[in-house]
Amino acid sequence: MAVLDRPEADLPWVTIVWNDPVNLMSYVSWVFQSHFGYPREKAQQLMLQVHEEGRAVVSTGTREKMEADTEAMHGYGLWATFQKDD
Amino acid sequence: MATMFRARHGRFTATWDTGEVAVVLHLLRLTHDFVAPEREDTGDPFLDLVAGLGGTADPEEPSDPALRRLLPPAHRTDAEQATEFRRLTEHTLRSRKAANLATTITALSEALPEDGDHEPTDPVTVALDADQARAMTMALTDIRLILGERLAMRTEEDSERLHEEFAATVRGEGEMEPSAVQQMAYYDFLTWVQESLTEAMLG
Repeated sequence: MAVLDRPEADLPWVTIVWNDPVNLMSYVSWVFQSHFGYPREKAQQLMLQVHEEGRAVVSTGTREKMEADTEAMHGYGLWATFQKDD
Repeated sequence: MATMFRARHGRFTATWDTGEVAVVLHLLRLTHDFVAPEREDTGDPFLDLVAGLGGTADPEEPSDPALRRLLPPAHRTDAEQATEFRRLTEHTLRSRKAANLATTITALSEALPEDGDHEPTDPVTVALDADQARAMTMALTDIRLILGERLAMRTEEDSERLHEEFAATVRGEGEMEPSAVQQMAYYDFLTWVQESLTEAMLG
């Protein structure tokens, strides 16, 4: 099947974490290690991207998985949203 | 004065004044009551599951901005998806936050002497296991998010300006409202505690 013919349901979804002035850089790194199991370097890099660019895609996958990740991030006090990757 | 948390044998310990424990317990209890679900669980797993599946009106976006920050919209552009997400997740999210706060309240209460006979400056040991440390760093986040919203700390610039005004007021040169000075003092103390606990957890 050609890439352009992919049915919509197959398009990956993403979870995005947005910057805020309250959450500590160390805490955001800890959340990314703790929830996603990312190694320290990757967690640190994503945290810096959130801090410097205002947002970062922190996970990619099915819609159900992204909704679960978004809910988990809200549990940690991070502001996350999910959307179709575009 | 509180000391930094140190990790030893899987536990996290610090020395606080009893007065500091009392203040943080007070803030934890207020936050617990603020965020706990409006519909209490019945304790019956089946009834709670049925109730959690809806049948009542969709929860609306909270009108209080601090509660909205704790339970933010999960979609930036599609209000319908954000509402559906809120309907499915808000109750469990609030229950989880309330549980973290309750765990932290129990852990901190254990630091206080049982006879209640103590001066605010008496030092006590706060000792947390790994689960309590996780609960506490998340609970501190929720309190700090509420204080931050009450102080209108919504951007990095807001944060810098508020900290400059706070420092000037403490020096006797600023004009920050007394209630905001109190909130900033709590905010900075909790920031310091959370930073030290998170660093200890990161190892």
